Amino acid sequence: MNMIETNNLTKIYGNFTAVNGINLHIQKNRIYGFLGPNGAGKSTTMKLFLGLTQPTSGNFTIDNKTYPKERIQILKMIGCFIETPAFYGNLSGEENLEIIQKILGLPKQSVTDALELVGLTQFKKRLAKKYSLGMKQRLGLAGALLGHPPILILDEPTNGLDPVGIHEIRSLIRSLPKQFNCTVLVSSHLLSEVELMADDIGILNHGRLLFEGTMEQLKENAKANGLPTDNLEDTFLAMIDADNRKRGQVR
Amino acid sequence: MIFSLELKKLKRTGYMPAFLGGAVLAAAVPLLHMLVRSETFIVLPGEPLNILYDANWQMMTMLNILTIILCACIIYHTEYSDNGAQKMAVLPVCDNHIFGGKFMITVLALSGMLLFEIIILELCALHWFSDYQVQLTDLTKNFCFSLIASLPTIILMLLIASACQNMWVSLGIGVILVFTVSVFPKENLFLSLCPFNSPYQTLALVTEKGKEYIFLVTCIAETILLGIAAHKLEHVRRYFS
Ligand SMILES: Nc1ncnc2c1ncn2[C@@H]1O[C@H](COP(=O)(O)OP(=O)(O)O)[C@@H](O)[C@H]1O
Ligand SMILES: [Mg+2]
Repeated sequence: MNMIETNNLTKIYGNFTAVNGINLHIQKNRIYGFLGPNGAGKSTTMKLFLGLTQPTSGNFTIDNKTYPKERIQILKMIGCFIETPAFYGNLSGEENLEIIQKILGLPKQSVTDALELVGLTQFKKRLAKKYSLGMKQRLGLAGALLGHPPILILDEPTNGLDPVGIHEIRSLIRSLPKQFNCTVLVSSHLLSEVELMADDIGILNHGRLLFEGTMEQLKENAKANGLPTDNLEDTFLAMIDADNRKRGQVR
Repeated sequence: MIFSLELKKLKRTGYMPAFLGGAVLAAAVPLLHMLVRSETFIVLPGEPLNILYDANWQMMTMLNILTIILCACIIYHTEYSDNGAQKMAVLPVCDNHIFGGKFMITVLALSGMLLFEIIILELCALHWFSDYQVQLTDLTKNFCFSLIASLPTIILMLLIASACQNMWVSLGIGVILVFTVSVFPKENLFLSLCPFNSPYQTLALVTEKGKEYIFLVTCIAETILLGIAAHKLEHVRRYFS
């Protein structure tokens, strides 16, 4: 069953097409890796799902709910983290989470749990603006995970973390569908990272969806198109390169 | 609930100290005035309280409005400086409730400020004018009048602060508005109804012209209209972002 489905979803800023008629199928209780180079339109797509920006055309459903009619119901199901951590700098990490906890009507314990989950317990009294980049990132993740929402949308969640942190967060994300029965949409510009986390992959370039399917399907697809398959990073680069060249010709 | 959350967001922002500081400054105006030149005032004909209002209310209101501007900037700066507003936008909470919560907080803070100032005026009258007696009904009426006269200013300033993500821009707009309306002729009823200008009126002056009901009803109507504008602004913002 598809938790999130899009139908020719398009977003145009002025005369620039950031998302170009994409059809995504994100299945329930699986991790969907959203892959693409910088500026491909990953964050824009996620912002569309959250109602932070309006689609120019096309539409999407989340758990069979439609936007904008059921915006609030959709938001109730989603925990998210978009681009940069969003928080109140004048409040401590704990106070930031308490605000979210009160809005979602969750028990107090959920704040403690979320802090523990991302490893911020010992810094919970420190003001969020005094956090290091990695700690802000973790605070953002804690805010997304609070109350174990059925859908998680995480935009480059390992940006700014050290190698140990990256590993920790990756294993955490990996464990989420089993632990909390949730569907995860996670974006990255690194195939190696998506490969380690995701069940399904969608590859985006210049707002277009180049590929959607499992890792095995990606390998088969690459073989069929004569792209290198022994190293997946090369596959990804070759795919993007081929697409860019094709677009260059069209121009 | 949203009210207590909005209050919590203001921790360590200097919001309450700003209101307190504004109130103390404004209350110092009549005190200093009377300390320095009480002889000029006590010989004037008329009600002691009206004399005090005439001598001080312009300056005190200017300070009140500047405080409202500053605090509206602070209240939205906390939302925009570390992107907290984006987090709110993806939580199941209505933007209008957030705006409403901020409006309520500002109204309450200003009530405290006005009450403090009016009590100081009464105390000045008691101290310097012989046989003056405090009338609680007059005090209440003056307080309610000034509060209602300030509502359009509060909501317009919050609207400006919520529309500009950069605090300095909203602060600048606020200060420019203060100085723009300060050149308006004060006798003109139509102009005195403008936000940023209406708080300068006093109950005694408006009652003299027999316009107190029109004045109050218009102020409330302006507040409601600006509230609707704030509601629409959220839609526009979502559409253009
Ligand atoms: N508000 C905006 N106005 C104009 N262009 C935008 C806006 N937001 C994003 N873009 C453009 O859309 C493209 C996709 O951006 P984004 O979705 O952030 O990419 P990424 O895949 O790196 O997350 C970029 O070229 C970016 O410059
Ligand atoms: Mg991005």
